[in-house]
Amino acid sequence: MVKKLLKDFKNGLWRENPIIVLVIGMCPTLAVTNTVENGLAMGIATSFVLLSSEIVISLFKKYIPNNVRIPSFILIIATFVTFTDYFLKAFFPDIAASLSLFIPLIVVNCLILGRQEAFASKNPTHRAIADALGMGLGFTWVLVLLSAVREFFGMGSIFGFELLGSWYEPMVIMVLPAGAFITLGILVGLMNVIKRRGN
Amino acid sequence: MDTKISKLVITLAVIGIISAIALSFVYQWTTPYIEEHQAQAQREAVRSVLPQAEEFEEINKNGKTFYEGYDSAGNKIGVAMIASGPGYQNVIEIMIGVNINNNTIYGIQILTHEETPGLGARIRSDEYKSNFEGKPFGEYNVVKREAQNDMEVEAIAGATISSQSVTRIVEKAVNDIQTAYGGGA
Repeated sequence: MVKKLLKDFKNGLWRENPIIVLVIGMCPTLAVTNTVENGLAMGIATSFVLLSSEIVISLFKKYIPNNVRIPSFILIIATFVTFTDYFLKAFFPDIAASLSLFIPLIVVNCLILGRQEAFASKNPTHRAIADALGMGLGFTWVLVLLSAVREFFGMGSIFGFELLGSWYEPMVIMVLPAGAFITLGILVGLMNVIKRRGN
Repeated sequence: MDTKISKLVITLAVIGIISAIALSFVYQWTTPYIEEHQAQAQREAVRSVLPQAEEFEEINKNGKTFYEGYDSAGNKIGVAMIASGPGYQNVIEIMIGVNINNNTIYGIQILTHEETPGLGARIRSDEYKSNFEGKPFGEYNVVKREAQNDMEVEAIAGATISSQSVTRIVEKAVNDIQTAYGGGA
């Protein structure tokens, strides 16, 4: 049983990583990863919404008729997203200001709806929790890595700390959307190489 | 069939009602904090564009809100207001403080913007904002070199549109303040 849970958890970290393997949830991935702070905050916010909605949906899946499961899932997800939005605005105004529109947009992150459909609506709650934690963490670590690369080359800093001196001419393209595509492409390529080596 | 449809409707209605109740509690809980942050940000912005003022007063004129600043002796030394206009990607909102006794700008503060990080977002930098400090009222030229006289504003390299947008917002705000306060005469 513990082994099974561990497998559910590890699934999202690597084998079915939402970003680099499933390639879902691209909107926030490309949009907010220009600084590590933004990437991390987005990862945590998304993980929170994913975990809470997977718990609720796996608990009440029996009572949700099949025909209206998608609108029901969206309602439940939107509730948690709105909660997160208010919560960040009230207690972390700086993060809320820099992520602005992308917090409400978590509602349409297909990672979240996808996991409800593929996992939470078919599995018991304890497995849904393991899945949500794994997927959330898998989403977060890739966002953090992506934003670290972009912030380092685009601004010469990590987490806002200046690492490269004033001699460094920042590559502006890295903080623009194009930089996200380039970094993500290289990252997915690297992961594929590592995977092939492993097999 | 009838029972089935009613079941679908009831399910969605129940979820919607529970969600609405839960969120209204969250709203009540967080709103005071959110309003406090906004008020705080606004107070700080007014303070920073009217640096010599000790007392502030909020006044409505011509349907606009102005913040009047008074020094410790009770003299009105300046007026601040929030102004907004189109930027490169979305609306830019600034706080501007002016000296209405000699028609010059004290300074500006960017409140909200969605300009490109690393480029247009540098309208928040002190280097750019200092362009407006001490400027006389009027129309400004945005130049892509060092400003050579009072009516020139040095554009941010690679962000001419953002630089121009802020300049236009400043001009409009100055105009509004002049209209409301009769040019300080």
